[in-house]
Amino acid sequence: MKNQISKLFVFTTKINRQHIQVAFAFLALVLFVLGAGAPDDGGGVLPR
Amino acid sequence: MILLVAILAGLAVGLFIARLKKRPWTVPPLHKPWLVIIAFLPQFFTLYLPGTRTWVKDDLAAAGLIVSLALLLVFCWFNRRLSGVWLLALGLACNLLVIAANGGFMPISPQTASRIVLPEILATYGNGDRFGTKDILLPPEQTRLIWLSDLFLPPKGFPYQVAFSPGDVFVAAGAFWLMLTQGKTLKATKIRMVKDRE
Repeated sequence: MKNQISKLFVFTTKINRQHIQVAFAFLALVLFVLGAGAPDDGGGVLPR
Repeated sequence: MILLVAILAGLAVGLFIARLKKRPWTVPPLHKPWLVIIAFLPQFFTLYLPGTRTWVKDDLAAAGLIVSLALLLVFCWFNRRLSGVWLLALGLACNLLVIAANGGFMPISPQTASRIVLPEILATYGNGDRFGTKDILLPPEQTRLIWLSDLFLPPKGFPYQVAFSPGDVFVAAGAFWLMLTQGKTLKATKIRMVKDRE
């Protein structure tokens, strides 16, 4: 248990500013295509 | 879904090429990515979030979609030097044009819609009704800029049926190209190749 906690601590210290920037850029790109595109696969189309 | 596949495909091919060339793959250096999040918020609340989309009126949702797309176009301007962004902007502009020309939603014809939903569900919809997330059911004779609307479909029998527009094709191609090239222009790639040779 103690070993796992120390591993988790090491992992979290490795998350630096660059990782956050990469994740943020990916999020932006995903949101961009979701926002800009308008395909329709019929998902969520319910009887009125 | 179909557009997210383009990002993942671009990432996979980009990683593969980077590995072949023994270079690290880096995420495209997007400028002002926070602008995308701000631009997406109107769509999130008026079109996606079930708790709010049900009580937002169609007029407000339409206005939210147009404002959102316009803000995304501004984002493209800030990132115009990245390769692939001009394709993204072209697709976005196509979708914005047809959406704005048809009351704020993407038109889809009943014939196209019949391929993606069951007939008994489609029968409950009338002309001009909102359909799906961003679409509006309109017959071709009432659709402006019909050639930019959701008119493409995969072949019959394809397991995933989805209606998409020419704008969606450009957006998917742009996302793929951006991920593949990591946003680097052709000129920058050539300069790098020359430096590598030296």
